[in-house]
Amino acid sequence: MSAAGRIVTGAEIPDLSSVEVDFVVVGSGAGGSTAAAVLAAAGARVVVLEEGGHYTRRDFNMQESWAYPALYQEHGNRATDDLAILILQGRSVGGGTTVNWTSSFRTPERTLALWAARHGVRGLDAATLAPHFAAAEQRLDVGVGDPDDVNNNNRKLQEGAAKLGWRPELIHRSVKGCARLGYCGMGCPLDAKRTSRTTYLADAIAAGADVYSDCRAKLVETDRGRARAVVADVLDRASDRPRGRFVAYARRGIVLAGGAINTPALLLRSKAGTDSGQVGRRTFLHPTVPIVAFYDQPIEAFYGPPQSVSVHHFADRGERVGYFLETAPVHPMLAALAFPGFGDTHRKIVERLAFAQSTIALLIDGHHDDEGGVVEVNGDGRIKLGYPLHASLREAAVAAIADMARLQLAAGAREVMTLHETPLVIRSEADLGAIAAAPFGPNLHTMFSAHQMGGAAMGEDPARSVVDSRGRHHQLENLWIADGSVFPTSLGVNPQLSIYALARLFATEIAKPG
Amino acid sequence: MPGSDDRAGFDRRRFLKRGLFGGTLLVLGGALPFVFRTTRRGSRPRRPLRLLSPDEYAVFAAVAARIVPGDGADARWPRAEALDCAGKVDALMATTHPDVGHDFRRLLRLVESGFLGTFTAGSPRPFTRATAAEQDARLGAWRRSRLAILRSGYQALKRLADAAYYSSPEIYALCGYPGPPVVPELPAGTP
Repeated sequence: MSAAGRIVTGAEIPDLSSVEVDFVVVGSGAGGSTAAAVLAAAGARVVVLEEGGHYTRRDFNMQESWAYPALYQEHGNRATDDLAILILQGRSVGGGTTVNWTSSFRTPERTLALWAARHGVRGLDAATLAPHFAAAEQRLDVGVGDPDDVNNNNRKLQEGAAKLGWRPELIHRSVKGCARLGYCGMGCPLDAKRTSRTTYLADAIAAGADVYSDCRAKLVETDRGRARAVVADVLDRASDRPRGRFVAYARRGIVLAGGAINTPALLLRSKAGTDSGQVGRRTFLHPTVPIVAFYDQPIEAFYGPPQSVSVHHFADRGERVGYFLETAPVHPMLAALAFPGFGDTHRKIVERLAFAQSTIALLIDGHHDDEGGVVEVNGDGRIKLGYPLHASLREAAVAAIADMARLQLAAGAREVMTLHETPLVIRSEADLGAIAAAPFGPNLHTMFSAHQMGGAAMGEDPARSVVDSRGRHHQLENLWIADGSVFPTSLGVNPQLSIYALARLFATEIAKPG
Repeated sequence: MPGSDDRAGFDRRRFLKRGLFGGTLLVLGGALPFVFRTTRRGSRPRRPLRLLSPDEYAVFAAVAARIVPGDGADARWPRAEALDCAGKVDALMATTHPDVGHDFRRLLRLVESGFLGTFTAGSPRPFTRATAAEQDARLGAWRRSRLAILRSGYQALKRLADAAYYSSPEIYALCGYPGPPVVPELPAGTP
């Protein structure tokens, strides 16, 4: 058995140094860590390159001023190119799992069926994935929904949905020993959240893999149809500027798992395996529309597990885009960014923070006629994500705002405030009609995304997809993608568990000899 | 030498291909070379600037003062300057992709422009020399503009100012937020 590997930070990496291993894995989130663990356990020599820094529970100080710049892509400023959708996407050792809100769902069977029927995905059904989901759930300590996890914020979602017959469900969470602090999105200071860093990445390191943090994959080098190396910028942690160059050569293969947006951007930047014209296309976000409900009694939505209840009553709306409902925590900075207006108007909303409940609707994009967004890279390597708000998405957003308002009124809210730039205040059913009349569009209403998917879709048709149904690239025979970018559509549920399971399936195939 | 018009044409095409932050709006920012001649520099930066020029710093500081509530009706709320909003944003933006920093500086040039002030809110003075009411009118005009690119510009300014201000522990109590809880002790030897 190999000696254990370790985490090498950027400050320890000499400029112009290199390694040669069996597999180079780009990204240390759910996909990359799982792939690295499976490959290292099979005896392969593995290195993992991670753009973000290496932080542990002792660094997680529960302060937004530290967490967002340190743990999120583009220091918390990633957004669509028109800034209409703020993109919350993790960036550290552990990737998105360092900052996600622990919600764990298996891929819905209707989504798998859609991929098979319309996107040429083969051999990816619930039975095939079941053992991989079971293994991931065990490793991540995913438990059944616990009623004691339901904080006031989620309880109002639960109560309102129950009154309206909308079937609220308890969310399964990837935690062990959770103290219900409420700071999952800023890194868990207790390591109670099961992240890829504390599970599969630790397994990979124990099996001999080395992890290089502060290494931003810049290019994939190819040679006669094979991927041979990843060239990375070594970043200075303080300035986030390149301070050196590091090259990881791959004897057997390269696994890309930098997440949706970054993985297609890496291929585009490298001009590698982009012949299909599909790289970067069909990028999905679960565009998320929040509302705020105000109660007479404190909700304190900044404390307690951020997500413990979900409502999938509207996930299937037939010919119209579906959505599901969850909650978001309301710490001061994130809430202030979401609240409309400025100056005293804005201040008067913020002052009610402790009494605010936040319900969110996540639009299930890509299941209908909307094509999602497009990732592009300019000559300087900068990533641009265009995401048009298709009419079908706007219809769903407006319907969801009304449904969320109805739900919170049913739960007993004094009033509901929409997050239009000119907010509407809803105090009764009679006020709901104003929602359909209010302008809705880019930067006319707060929107964000915590789920990035697609951009390097899987499928068996090389003209319509980037990788096959086991993650292998159609043009580059020894390059695989094992992250959320392979999803041909959005999932309709929070994605972390699907990424873990899919990466485990793919890596098991990659590890097979020959 | 090749005419500056050629370079301007190239720049323009380059920007037209990008969104804001990078965006078409910012083309206009690049076409306003003298806009800072009349900029009023208010408070001095507390620390050496890493990205912005003193004029650009002054413009963002003036914007932040209107975005956050410190200059408003409730004197309990600290001013943007007291929480060093502009300094924090300068430090943050210095770590972003160089193109993003460049676009941010162009956006500030555009904000300061009296030309655009006239166009959007009938206010011809540089932003830093406008009255508070004029500044609010200009921000409000961008916020609700029919031009999507102006709304994008407003959101960039608002988010940066709000992020710097509302992530400051000094405002927690004013928001009704008690701050992070005490973390339970883990058993000795826990990694």
